[in-house]
Amino acid sequence: MGKQYEIPVGAQHISLLEPLHFRFTTENEKIVKTDANVFYVHRGIEQACCSKFKFRQVSFVVGRVCGLCSISHTTAYSQVAEKLLKIEIPRRAKYLRMLVIELDRIHSHLLCLSHVAENSGFEALFMKTMQYREFSMELLEAVCGNRIQYDFSIVGGVTRDLKPEVADMILKRLDHFMPQLEELIGIYKNNWTLSLKNKGVGRISKEDAMRLNVVGPFARAAGLAVDVRNETEDLLPWKEVGYEMITDTAGDVHARNMVRLREIEVSIRIIRNVIAGLPESDLVTETKAFPEGEATVRLEAPRGELFYYAKGNKTQVLERLKIKAPTFSNVAGMVHAFTNNEYASAPAIIASYDPCLSCTAR
Amino acid sequence: MKKIETSLATLKNDLASFYNPAEHHFMVMNAVEMGEKMEVQWFFCDYAHPCETTCFFTLIERGEEVPSIKDIVDSAWVAEAELVDLMNINVENTAKGFVLEPDFESGPLLKKK
Amino acid sequence: MNTFFSAIGNLFKEPVTTKYPFEPTYKPDDYRGLIGFEESLCIWCRRCELACPPGAIVFSQDMEGKQTYHYNRAVCIYCGECVRACPKEGALFQTAEPAPCALKEENINNGWNQLFDEALDSREKFAAEKKRKAAEKAAADKAAAAAKKAAEEQAGTNNETSAG
Ligand code: SF4
Ligand code: SF4
Repeated sequence: MGKQYEIPVGAQHISLLEPLHFRFTTENEKIVKTDANVFYVHRGIEQACCSKFKFRQVSFVVGRVCGLCSISHTTAYSQVAEKLLKIEIPRRAKYLRMLVIELDRIHSHLLCLSHVAENSGFEALFMKTMQYREFSMELLEAVCGNRIQYDFSIVGGVTRDLKPEVADMILKRLDHFMPQLEELIGIYKNNWTLSLKNKGVGRISKEDAMRLNVVGPFARAAGLAVDVRNETEDLLPWKEVGYEMITDTAGDVHARNMVRLREIEVSIRIIRNVIAGLPESDLVTETKAFPEGEATVRLEAPRGELFYYAKGNKTQVLERLKIKAPTFSNVAGMVHAFTNNEYASAPAIIASYDPCLSCTAR
Repeated sequence: MKKIETSLATLKNDLASFYNPAEHHFMVMNAVEMGEKMEVQWFFCDYAHPCETTCFFTLIERGEEVPSIKDIVDSAWVAEAELVDLMNINVENTAKGFVLEPDFESGPLLKKK
Repeated sequence: MNTFFSAIGNLFKEPVTTKYPFEPTYKPDDYRGLIGFEESLCIWCRRCELACPPGAIVFSQDMEGKQTYHYNRAVCIYCGECVRACPKEGALFQTAEPAPCALKEENINNGWNQLFDEALDSREKFAAEKKRKAAEKAAADKAAAAAKKAAEEQAGTNNETSAG
């Protein structure tokens, strides 16, 4: 046994976007053990949602849990509140929710990919991916009126309609983006320099992914077919708009990149189908009821399964709201997948998990 | 959501006979205050379509020790550590200081008296 | 190799970023911007205040009962809930104008907190005053009624005595 060193990474580190702390125990540059701490960003959002805010206002509060998957949080909360109120939302609202969730997925996946490139030492590809990502931000701004905090889902429906000229703009921009996506897939797949840093790195096997209950692209890259869009259809009709499961088998950083890129293709298909088949109906179901009982909702956020539990007591303020973010499920898998990798690969591996600590600690 | 009542004594047996890693995945643990008592919940979901969420729950007294399910579900330590910090629940073999700093006042999500 | 050549080619291309502030950036016409208020249409129902998640709207009230609308653009999250809650079309509306930066002189945080508390206070005072006035009025009414009754009784007894 060689000499062991402990190397801390984080909470502030140039390759980390969020305050996460890892303590690697290394031996001859190989990581043999990892410890993680996530305690830097607890903001007490669940407590605020159950004391200060009324249940209709909570959908705006949970949007602030995470900047990147704001729409997933608002939608999941709105759905759980709708279950407590026992209302069904109009079909058009469901379609519009799917549209924004998928646009959000495109921008979130491209962001993650660009950071993998950056942390692997490929700055030019980082710039290129960010350049191509800009269209999705502008589309989201056109649909929701804001680049980051969409505030699009409310309890009972959605806040804004899709204007025909915006729908045209989306289709046009997607057509324009298709060749760019091809180009990105080509680079991420075949670039030799990037493959040195990504292929066979940060590998997790399907059995381990299953054992550690990993979710999202992290699990799908290992061959574990887990996707909430595949499993539920009562709340949002994913199958109807052309959802398809994407998996890979390698389970390394490269496989995660490929899963994300191919999921962008699926998202584009879903967006096109949503726009083509947008049903005519109201946008909001009004009700004067108060939330009562218990309900749970699962939703596929860009990083994986998002879970909401809510309990109402027939007043304006909820009794309990529990948020489980995708990264929270992945912590165990993340810590595991570092083992037997070079310490120098750690930044690329961290980026490829696409961790979102604000969601995890809330 | 399917809710199954269990007790602290039978919890591990119930979960061991229920949980099959190839069929279910463990999502999260949760606790809800019910007056003086607390309801602790374990959420599972299956991979199949249409999936079903299963919730095991039990009522405990405040401060009572909850058995750990780390040996049945490998990733449960994250959820257990979270409950220890945020809801001030005493879980077997779990230290404070994963979701909150170790010297933080524990139980910030409990209802203020 | 391809990447290499395209990288060389990129050296001779225009930058893709917008030359802000010399060129405007993209902004849709229904951008979620500042909230506008039309006092003449408002019916002072305060539903907007109740709906607003961060508490960016508050109404103060003077002793005559006249309400004043206060809005803080730095607290507002531009969600539009107030506009949806407003029962009177046009009293509140969302403009496409982004909020200007707050200046130090405005004291936008502490000043607002103070204003918020004062506004709630002023309403409480008005309500208390109203209650006091109502109580006074009720007491006066009661006194008047009692006096009237007494007078009537008096008159009755007087009548009786005079009749007797
Ligand atoms: S837009 Fe939202 S935050 Fe702003 S004043 Fe209206 S309700 Fe409040
Ligand atoms: S909701 Fe509309 S009408 Fe009512 S107080 Fe606010 S602005 Fe005035």
